[in-house]
Amino acid sequence: MSTVADLPGARPTALARVPRWLPGVVRFLRLWEGAAWWLAGRFLLAGPLDVIAHAWANAGLLTRAAAVTLENAAWGFVIGNLAAVALALMALALPRGAGVVAGLALVVFCLPLVATAPILRVLYGPGSGPQITIAALAVYYTTFIPLMVGLRAAPASWFDLIRLYGRGGPSALVQVRAMAALPYLVAGLQIAAPAAILGAMIGEFTGADRGLGVLVIRAMRGLDVTATWTLATISAAVAMAGYGALGALGRWLAPDRPEALLTPPPASATRLAERAAIGALTVLVVLLLWWAAMELADLNRFFAKRPDDVWRFLVTAPQAAAARATLAAAMVETLLWTIPGYVAGLVLGAALAAVLTLYPAAAGSVMPIAVALRSVPIVTTAPLIVLMLGRGATGTIAIVAVMTFFPALVACLQGLRQAPGQVLDVFAAYAARPVQRLLHAQLPAMLPAFFAAARMSVPAAVLAVTVAEWLATGRGMGHLMALSASTSNYNMLWSATATLAAVSALGYAGVALLERRALRRYAPEQLS
Amino acid sequence: MTTSLITRRHSLGLGLGALGLAALGPGVARAQTRVALQLSWLHSVQFAGSYIADERGFWRDLGLSVRLDSGGPNAPVEPPVVSGTALVGISAADYTASAVAQGAPFRILGVAMQNNPFAIASLPGNPVNEPKDMEGKRIGMPTANMPVLQTLCTLNDVDINRIEIIPTQYDAAPLVAGQVDCLLCWSTDLPVAMYVRGIESVTMLMADFGYVLHSQTYIATDDTIANRRADLVALLKGEAMGWDAYRADLEAATDLTLARFPDAGLDRPTQIEQARRQVPLMFSDLTDAHGFGWFTEETVAQNIETLGLLGMPVTADLWDRSILEEVHAG
Repeated sequence: MSTVADLPGARPTALARVPRWLPGVVRFLRLWEGAAWWLAGRFLLAGPLDVIAHAWANAGLLTRAAAVTLENAAWGFVIGNLAAVALALMALALPRGAGVVAGLALVVFCLPLVATAPILRVLYGPGSGPQITIAALAVYYTTFIPLMVGLRAAPASWFDLIRLYGRGGPSALVQVRAMAALPYLVAGLQIAAPAAILGAMIGEFTGADRGLGVLVIRAMRGLDVTATWTLATISAAVAMAGYGALGALGRWLAPDRPEALLTPPPASATRLAERAAIGALTVLVVLLLWWAAMELADLNRFFAKRPDDVWRFLVTAPQAAAARATLAAAMVETLLWTIPGYVAGLVLGAALAAVLTLYPAAAGSVMPIAVALRSVPIVTTAPLIVLMLGRGATGTIAIVAVMTFFPALVACLQGLRQAPGQVLDVFAAYAARPVQRLLHAQLPAMLPAFFAAARMSVPAAVLAVTVAEWLATGRGMGHLMALSASTSNYNMLWSATATLAAVSALGYAGVALLERRALRRYAPEQLS
Repeated sequence: MTTSLITRRHSLGLGLGALGLAALGPGVARAQTRVALQLSWLHSVQFAGSYIADERGFWRDLGLSVRLDSGGPNAPVEPPVVSGTALVGISAADYTASAVAQGAPFRILGVAMQNNPFAIASLPGNPVNEPKDMEGKRIGMPTANMPVLQTLCTLNDVDINRIEIIPTQYDAAPLVAGQVDCLLCWSTDLPVAMYVRGIESVTMLMADFGYVLHSQTYIATDDTIANRRADLVALLKGEAMGWDAYRADLEAATDLTLARFPDAGLDRPTQIEQARRQVPLMFSDLTDAHGFGWFTEETVAQNIETLGLLGMPVTADLWDRSILEEVHAG
């Protein structure tokens, strides 16, 4: 299928020898050195030359630390993605239960680390358990969602073909769904690579004695700005390598353009009542699992609050009204920042993807920066963002956008590539301009991926805002949770956790509603 | 909150320990009881006394094998101690008081930092020498520390509304970069970081202005105090011996820390300076007279007053000196 549509991207072979990303990286390094020079003496940024010198002088220490962190990240990556595949297959095998599985996956992804970290450390004791678990938790959701889309991204006619040959569900899964899902899986894995590394580093904050995350804490407290940025550079470089390698793997596995997806809508359409029932069932399952997990692990009620503790704290206790008021005020403050940050991150990601589709040459400049922004730990970049944009709305929204745009960018890029080859051939035959091709063929084809990104960005945005509140603004839920954790107010911490999860789930359901409207028109095969 | 404090994991460990002991038979003179001490932060010279106790066999000679569990920014001390994963935790009076208010059955057994390490750090060109100087200035701190600043202001009649509070990470960069005029921090970490980078700073120790609060306190649960007294005495005895050895030779304590944690990213100039600066916080006339970790009714009363201002009403029952009395008795 790779025919005419590829021509605009074709270049003389001599130029092709230079890796596409090289000019972008060089430009990025020059910009970085310039910024470091400009900020010299303010202890906020170290340039690439200092970073190289520091890395050279501390090669042994950094290599050992990176090895520890990467090993944990790799385990987390494997376990988290396997879990995502298992969840997706489960949702596919039990179509009635798919809503509950997706809801459960969402709620677990929403759990803030301040609440779960002490539990993980108590469960595992010293060692790498919490780091690996947090890395796995950081990746499974962003693989699960695209995978669910991918498993459905097959035309009904293919399934008819399978049935005509008298084959059943397993064949359909292997020969149709798996093939259709592959590009989406690769996109999910690409998003997961930087997330796993960040997750492993943040996991080290729960009481590890070695690793890149430990060194980051040490460097920041020690005012060692060169060490801080050396560590940021190493984690970013490794994440970029992972991203690139997975992309190459994807191109090797699925080089072809997809077949046409223009199919008539399936007959089934869930009623509102049925969806409400699924929602109620999900809530019930979540509460039951929450309680059962803590009881089975025999976790002490002092820090592992059960649903009934939260109920007492928020409803029946004498100070319940005050607790509710505190929680509601913080939640409102948080939402005021979350929504603009969410929209900004999503728009930025989709717009960048569109620009890169129109001007493929720009990918060399943009992608390294995008991956770097995603994989540099936010604790090191937040002070810079705050310095440039302030602690008010702009700075906070920027932090949220930086933390959320990446999944949208990757998913949309993948989605734009899903425009049916035959449709693109028609545009090429009529010598349509790239903008027309983008508007009329590629954007509609991108919609399923875009909405998948929009859905998985809901919890990501909420988590991002709470991080920004903790690091920069000192208000809202992020501040409330940090304060509750430091004063052992685990009732408030778990109430905040439950509220955040509920709000994220509601936001997710809202986006899903919009999605159904849009997809009914543009991608009905998704609505099974 | 009536759940048994001895968790399954814990009792399993005890059971296995007993089995091991039986298998070894009567030939073994003394079995090592395995316990854990939960530290309050990442490994550094902050806990050098414990490393000395371990390396020089102080604990081994007392029949203990102590695992030193690292803390961290997202590693609260209280959960592992409540769960029994750690026999003892290193906390601070305010953290312990809030945990007790939330139903945790903790008591403070000993006090490693007699003087609270909290300080206001500023630059010499625009110094904070006394609490009044904070008025009209911008202070950078993690907002979780708000109660500390409020208490300092109340103790010294400072109008907190005249201080501009800027939420920052726990980091000296905002002060050096001129984004804030002063920082709320420990006198033993951020000022040391600035000193090592050649940046002179002014450190106003809050303990000198009425902020009396025990820090780096040893905490254990009521259940442990009732049922594992011998282990607690041995643990604290080893600690006391380790910290006395630390005080006698700071260089050796620093070198031991660096050698023990080659992968922790520690550097000698920072560690030796931190080791020096924590000495006056840990040792006083009181400890010289009675021994490491000591506290009296009088110091407890002062702590209760500060905790009251922090919004944490407690009684003297939060402290239990009986273990320490055994440690220093003979």
